Amino acid sequence: MTDGLTRVPEASGFRNRDDYAAALLNVVGDLSQEKSRLEELQRASLNILEDFAGEKVRFEETQRAMLNLLDDFASEREKSEAANRGLRVALESLRLAKEDVDSANRELEAFAYSVSHDLRAPLRTIGGFSQVLVEDCDAQLNEQGRDSLHRIVAAVEKMGQLIDDLLNLSRVTRVEMLRGPVDLTRMARKIFEEFRKFHPERQAEIVVADDLVGQGDERLLSVVLRNLIDNAWKFTSQREKARIEFGAAPAGGGQAFFFKDNGTGFDMAFAGKLFQPFQRLHTMRDFPGTGIGLATVKRIIERHGGRVWIEARPGQGATVYFTLAGEPEEREVR
Amino acid sequence: MKAKSILLVEDNPDDVVLTMRALAKSHVANSVDLAGDGVEALEYLFCTGKYAGRDPCLLPQVILLDLKMPRMDGLEVLRRIRADEKTRLLPVVILTTSSEERDKVESYKLGANSYIRKPVDFAQFAESVRQLGLYWLVLNEAP
Repeated sequence: MTDGLTRVPEASGFRNRDDYAAALLNVVGDLSQEKSRLEELQRASLNILEDFAGEKVRFEETQRAMLNLLDDFASEREKSEAANRGLRVALESLRLAKEDVDSANRELEAFAYSVSHDLRAPLRTIGGFSQVLVEDCDAQLNEQGRDSLHRIVAAVEKMGQLIDDLLNLSRVTRVEMLRGPVDLTRMARKIFEEFRKFHPERQAEIVVADDLVGQGDERLLSVVLRNLIDNAWKFTSQREKARIEFGAAPAGGGQAFFFKDNGTGFDMAFAGKLFQPFQRLHTMRDFPGTGIGLATVKRIIERHGGRVWIEARPGQGATVYFTLAGEPEEREVR
Repeated sequence: MKAKSILLVEDNPDDVVLTMRALAKSHVANSVDLAGDGVEALEYLFCTGKYAGRDPCLLPQVILLDLKMPRMDGLEVLRRIRADEKTRLLPVVILTTSSEERDKVESYKLGANSYIRKPVDFAQFAESVRQLGLYWLVLNEAP
């Protein structure tokens, strides 16, 4: 080996062995420097690789986090889609329910219309021809025949009134409400005036408080007042001197309107029946009526979000109270 | 001049009898022509169908019109009467059983002149005649 190293190749151009050896040493020195640079480079590369691996881990973590986020997002989206679907289903069933109500209302309307026309047609024939007999054949009838005929005419009138009242009852449930302030004092005075004109023989003291204003539908409230005045007027008919008062009183922090009469009254044990259609507490002979008036009043008051109740004692008169929503303390009433 | 006729449009034979009677009691001298439903009423007014030979100039003085009839109801008849130049000014009195507000509102909207609840009685008929200014209709007792 040494021989090989120390012999100067002829083509190398070195003049002697020493030069050649020095040059070789230089080369070797250069090589070892190269090597350490390479090693450094390698270390640096390894470092970079290590760093890169760390980065990769972090990147993977980020990716996982993002995937989780995406997952979460997807499940959130699913949830919100499910919620949307639920909402759509709810809306759809609401729409269907409304359609049901609308169609039930239409049916009710058709029914009421049919009652109004078809049920009345045969009644009209009975009544009309009974009237013909009364007017044209009175002379040919004996006492019993005349009495029978009058009973027929009266029953026809009664049934006509029943149909009217029933239709009114169904109408107050159907009509659209237009709310506003209603001057109840003026309305009541006007109705009382009509009753006085219609029964000039009656002695009645009528007291209507000033400035009674209710929030509600004017036409429906006039139905309420008319029915309640009709009742008070009717149930005081056997009093020598009737007294009917319309006023307002505090009730449960709000105000209740009331009609107070000194009429025949009734036993409170039966009060629950009063607001049911066709329920009557008196005989037809004493006090005629169809038993639909208070049921109608109740429906109207309930449509107004109010309440109606009666306090009475047999022989001591009755007081009908009603409230209308819109008077804020209303909710606390009983 | 011969008094014009009254056209009664009514499908219920009982009501026809009662209405005729009320008219007679009201001393109405005019002849009464009867149409059994809405379709027949229009045929009468426009001289078509079974009334094709009628003189179209002979319009009735007043129409007493029932609302609920088979084939074509009173409201539709009223609509057609008001839609035609020739008949749109004819006085129309609606006869009905119903106390339904919507009938009243609908028929006034369509141009009904008056409204009588059945059975037609003398007092109501006289009131409608008065409202419509048709005093001459009640002329049997006049000289």
